[in-house]
Amino acid sequence: MSAHLSLEQLLALREPGVEPGTTEARDHLERCAACAEEFRRLEQRAARLRALPALRPSRDQWAAVQGRLAAEQRRRRVRWAGVGSVALAASLLAAVVVRDLAAPARLEASTELGSVMAQSRMLEEAIRAYGPEARVVDGYTAAVAGQLEERIARLDRELESSQFLDAAERQDVMVQLWRERVGLLDALVDVHLASASNVGL
Amino acid sequence: MSRTLVMDSFLLADAESVVARARAGDAAALEAIYRAFESPVYNLARRICRSVEDAEDVLQETFFEVCRSIRTFRAEGSLWGWIRTIAASKALMRLRRNKYRDTDELHDEVMAFRREDVGLRMDLEAALERLSDTARAVVWLHDVEGYTHDEIAALMGKTTSFSKSQLARAHHRLRRWLGEEVTA
Repeated sequence: MSAHLSLEQLLALREPGVEPGTTEARDHLERCAACAEEFRRLEQRAARLRALPALRPSRDQWAAVQGRLAAEQRRRRVRWAGVGSVALAASLLAAVVVRDLAAPARLEASTELGSVMAQSRMLEEAIRAYGPEARVVDGYTAAVAGQLEERIARLDRELESSQFLDAAERQDVMVQLWRERVGLLDALVDVHLASASNVGL
Repeated sequence: MSRTLVMDSFLLADAESVVARARAGDAAALEAIYRAFESPVYNLARRICRSVEDAEDVLQETFFEVCRSIRTFRAEGSLWGWIRTIAASKALMRLRRNKYRDTDELHDEVMAFRREDVGLRMDLEAALERLSDTARAVVWLHDVEGYTHDEIAALMGKTTSFSKSQLARAHHRLRRWLGEEVTA
């Protein structure tokens, strides 16, 4: 091998195992000072990447994680125990249950998209009917609801942007985004549901 | 002992017992896991995602998933290895969603526009930031986190050769932007 090694060949030398051609490349590396220097730079670059300072979050996200977990747990509890006699809670719960019944195991992407969009609408209507903005809630509920609403707003922006994706990819991404939207709305319903149950509505 | 197992004991003293308590639903143990791995998860997410907001979302989604699925974690494996794969997968999902902002064509166009300043040496951090999302993710997962091309391909839903070519592409660019090209 007389020509210098390409970057691709040098990268292959860093991989475990021996690919076809690497033995020859290794021999060349031992004899060629320029390639050895290039290989050393490559190794140094990787080492410098590993030595970059660790980036840390500026905000503690644990409360938000807990909020989502608590909302999910409440949803499970409510589903089993029921809060039947409370008219408002019942209407919200109905939305959750109907959503679950409607959840398809695995539908075609287009059918699935229609389904998750319908679930999203249903949950949104339930929240609108409840009218959370006109109600007095405790600070924790307000904070969790606020975070969820912020995430829904961000998701909506992503949904708008997803229009620019290739047709082939758009559907999958949209299904995924709408599913997430349903999840967030569902958590928001739970937050309000728990709040309503706590104040004995 | 693998690198990820070393990380477990480095980041979380008595990891085995904390995991056992977390699996039993102990909230304090779950929080201990969050506190131990919050920084490396965020760092991975922030290095792969473009924005702080996306990285924070990935951090939150990762630990939501960790808390929900801790019972499925096999105790004999590396906790960091498991959490890291969840985080990488969430971060890559986010990239996929934002892909419309990062088509290679657009990226190349922007790069051609900026090519004039490549004579100036960039620092590594700036050069890494300037890579396309996919190339940056591959170089970070491979060179820093130690994932193999096969593993990266599986995480990205692409082929092994795609991962290899993205890594080569990333190094070509880093080499140029860092002023490390061999002139001979």
